[in-house]
Amino acid sequence: MFGGYTEGIIILLCINSIAAMGVSLLTGFTGIFTLGHAGYMALGAYVSSLLIMKAGMPWLAGIFLGGTGAMLVAWLVGIPTLKLMGDYYAIASIGLGEAIRLILENWQSVTRGARGVPGIPPYTTLPVALAFFLVMAFAMFCLINSRYGRAFKACRDDYLAASLLGFNTAKLRVLSLAISGFYCGVAGALLAGFLSFIQPIMFDMIKSTELTSVVVFGGLGSMSGTLIGTGIITLVTELFRPISQYRMLIYGAVIVIIMIFRPEGIMGQKELGKTFFRDLTRRLKPADKRHGGGVKR
Amino acid sequence: MKRVCVLGVFLVLFVSFLAGPAFAADTVKIGYLAALTGDWAAYGQTELKSAQLAVEEINSAGGVNGMKIELVPYDFRTRAEDAVNAVRRMIEEDKVSAIVGANGSGINIATAAVVNKAGVSQIGTVSTNPFVTMDESGKVRPYSFRICFTDPYQGKLIAYFSARELGRLKAAILYDVGNDYSQGLREFFMKSYGNYGGKVVADLGFRGGQDVDFRAQLTEIRKSGADVLVLPNMGKEMALIMKQARELGMDEIVFVGGDGYGEFMWEIAGDAMENSYWINHVAPEDPAMQPFFASYREKYNDECKEFVNGILAYDAMYLVADAIKRANSTDPKAVRDALEKTENLELHHAVITMDEFHNPKDKDGVVLVAKDGRGQFFKKIKPE
Amino acid sequence: METVLQQVINGLSLGSVYALIAVGYSLVYSILLFSNFAHGGFLVIGGYICYFILRSIGGGIWIASLAALMGAGFCAVLTEKLAYKPIRERTNVTLYLLIASMGMSIVIENIFVIIAGGRFRALPPVIPTQPVSLFGIATTSMFDILSLVTAVVFLSGLQIFLTRTKWGLAIRAAAYDLRVAGLMGVNVNRLISIVFFTAGLLAAVGGIFLSVRYTLYPQLGLITIKAFIAAVIGGLGSLPGAVVGSLILGLAEMLTAGFISSQMRDLVVFLLLVITLLIRPTGLFGKDVKEKV
Repeated sequence: MFGGYTEGIIILLCINSIAAMGVSLLTGFTGIFTLGHAGYMALGAYVSSLLIMKAGMPWLAGIFLGGTGAMLVAWLVGIPTLKLMGDYYAIASIGLGEAIRLILENWQSVTRGARGVPGIPPYTTLPVALAFFLVMAFAMFCLINSRYGRAFKACRDDYLAASLLGFNTAKLRVLSLAISGFYCGVAGALLAGFLSFIQPIMFDMIKSTELTSVVVFGGLGSMSGTLIGTGIITLVTELFRPISQYRMLIYGAVIVIIMIFRPEGIMGQKELGKTFFRDLTRRLKPADKRHGGGVKR
Repeated sequence: MKRVCVLGVFLVLFVSFLAGPAFAADTVKIGYLAALTGDWAAYGQTELKSAQLAVEEINSAGGVNGMKIELVPYDFRTRAEDAVNAVRRMIEEDKVSAIVGANGSGINIATAAVVNKAGVSQIGTVSTNPFVTMDESGKVRPYSFRICFTDPYQGKLIAYFSARELGRLKAAILYDVGNDYSQGLREFFMKSYGNYGGKVVADLGFRGGQDVDFRAQLTEIRKSGADVLVLPNMGKEMALIMKQARELGMDEIVFVGGDGYGEFMWEIAGDAMENSYWINHVAPEDPAMQPFFASYREKYNDECKEFVNGILAYDAMYLVADAIKRANSTDPKAVRDALEKTENLELHHAVITMDEFHNPKDKDGVVLVAKDGRGQFFKKIKPE
Repeated sequence: METVLQQVINGLSLGSVYALIAVGYSLVYSILLFSNFAHGGFLVIGGYICYFILRSIGGGIWIASLAALMGAGFCAVLTEKLAYKPIRERTNVTLYLLIASMGMSIVIENIFVIIAGGRFRALPPVIPTQPVSLFGIATTSMFDILSLVTAVVFLSGLQIFLTRTKWGLAIRAAAYDLRVAGLMGVNVNRLISIVFFTAGLLAAVGGIFLSVRYTLYPQLGLITIKAFIAAVIGGLGSLPGAVVGSLILGLAEMLTAGFISSQMRDLVVFLLLVITLLIRPTGLFGKDVKEKV
């Protein structure tokens, strides 16, 4: 039914959505802003493809181990660095993400450095990508509606109050990072199988900022917003392909315009669901404007 | 309500985009994959302009088999996943007969899986990595071609020229760790240099894009006593390296570089360029190329400073046009077969015969010497 | 020993260019508490204005530099008015400003990709670059000495502006608390414009020097990430911190490349960043921002 082009877009959409869900859990639900998650995608991609190609592991196991590897690193890195709050973690995450990429680039005996790893078996077909997307999206929606999801949101909304209520906030933050690392790792592993060739340069800071801007674009604290945001950004970049040179200009402008006119993102904190449509039919009043005036936190 | 409208607009856009454009029968479409934004934009833009020039010339001379060529250019902003989608779109939506580009080996390797599965040929312009036309097990990729020579050959040329022609046997190499082209070329240079009696006395890396200051590495190189500095990099970095080397007072060392050479480097490095040598695909003063430069200047009111990309892109279009003509068909498979059988085809910069690995057979290396503000033909070499 | 000295000189000259840019990051952060990633864009704007005046109109370096400084400052103010002002008036979440600034940096980069093309351009040799021997033991270039001098001149100019003028006082007050400064009768919008103008102006100085040294191209702004890291190491929001951080970073880069391995250079930079943040999150000279309950 679909041609290869549409199929390619859908697969990429699934992969991007999985990674964006991971970032959304961390940024949108736990309130930790990151600019380095492409590093975890890189880890997932390299761990899985090297295991599959060098150790002869079946690809499904490779994907899971890729995700787990990224999760492990995220967990280890998170314990010391998540003590940092606000912007400071975001800045540290730039350093962490770039450091992962630089290590992959310099460790030539294993990763072949910048030349990349060619010849990865193309295991990411449409059904595989869709299946991973559906399962992981389902798990994510279960998670954010569970006790843990509410605990994450409590950390986000008021860190101090949450810890006063007895939540182990430090542990929750690390947990959130580990899970998001797993999602990005799996996305990276799927990307490796889709392109059948990976290079460290694919996972640079531009990729990281793309992930985060998609999440903000969709709405911080809305998982369905994240998915819609990913969809729109992917389609916009594809639609504008014929006007090649202007494409990135439009992309940048769209981000700025969204931040100006609807900084809470497309969905705000709402989820697509029964209540959302009910509100919509009632002709929701214009989005509530919070009056800040000042700029201090 | 506003929200519903926005969603509606996107839905319409999505549907219209699935429907795809109409198919015209009296044109033959050729895809062009070029980096028009991002770090390689300078090269990609020149390639696209040169390809468009070739298309205009071919069309005004009657087209191929009575059909006009229509170029379908897509940007890939230097990202492999974007290039894969661009190539899929060319194949599925635009039904191209062949694809030319991209200006980077990594991109060609990533798109090779797609074009070989779909059965549409892709011709790399400056994609010198061996894996562009050959898979990891050493088998040729049936639909992947290139018009340039390969890195192993180029590395050998640089080694041969430095050791035998210049007689310089203590080489320093400064390469870009983050660039696959640079890493590959360095590896192949090191393999051959020893065979010609040379010794690499300093092997240093940097990271392109962000690193623009090479004085630390150059200080090391000065200490190592190297008499030739091999630069397997992109033009901007090489120019900066040479300029900074001369600023550090390294006046004796000779620079030898690869096909990253571009005339724009003179603007950056100025006099530091003088007497450096460049192993390249073509010479800018090749009389056969002068009409091209003239029409480029006329059409775009600009010099074709990235001339290697320009010439190879220009001739790649003629190569494809010739294959379509011989295939007498726009069917991608027939075009591929014709491409593979390309023999003694007289293009502007060289005579091309495809070997069994889809590389042009026995291409001469052209050595340029930088003198009096431009790169001049020095000699043609073929290593022993 | 000579090599050490040479690398130290290399490091200082690299650090002085970082400092000009890092100060701009810090200045904006001290008032608006967000990292303005479009700062690299101001630098590119300055570079291109200088280039076009020198090449097309044929003005001298002084006219070109003046125009570049003013132009970049003006564009910085314009960016603030168009992109940041509506956001900061609506919410007080600095994250949105950060994302908008990333969007702006993409926009500025691609405007130049379209109007100027992606080609690498070099300014005419307006700044001398011949080698200079320092007491016969190390070599530097005239350019390095000039860039160091320019950095010192502009940074002390900034210091005088901040300590001796009324608006400087207002900026320092606003750095403590913007709202209170507003309540005390400071015209906050004008103050922010002045801050952005100053930041853009300094970025253009850095831009001219960077484009002489490293050529001019639309993605030149990306290398300011190093200057940003320098600002963080010194302590975001602190101007002396930005300068010291830049010098430390410049030295660390050169010494790593010279004595450990040139491949490790960037890794060291990023690890330095992470370690600084872990040990002293507010950087060397940063003010302690307490989370408000």
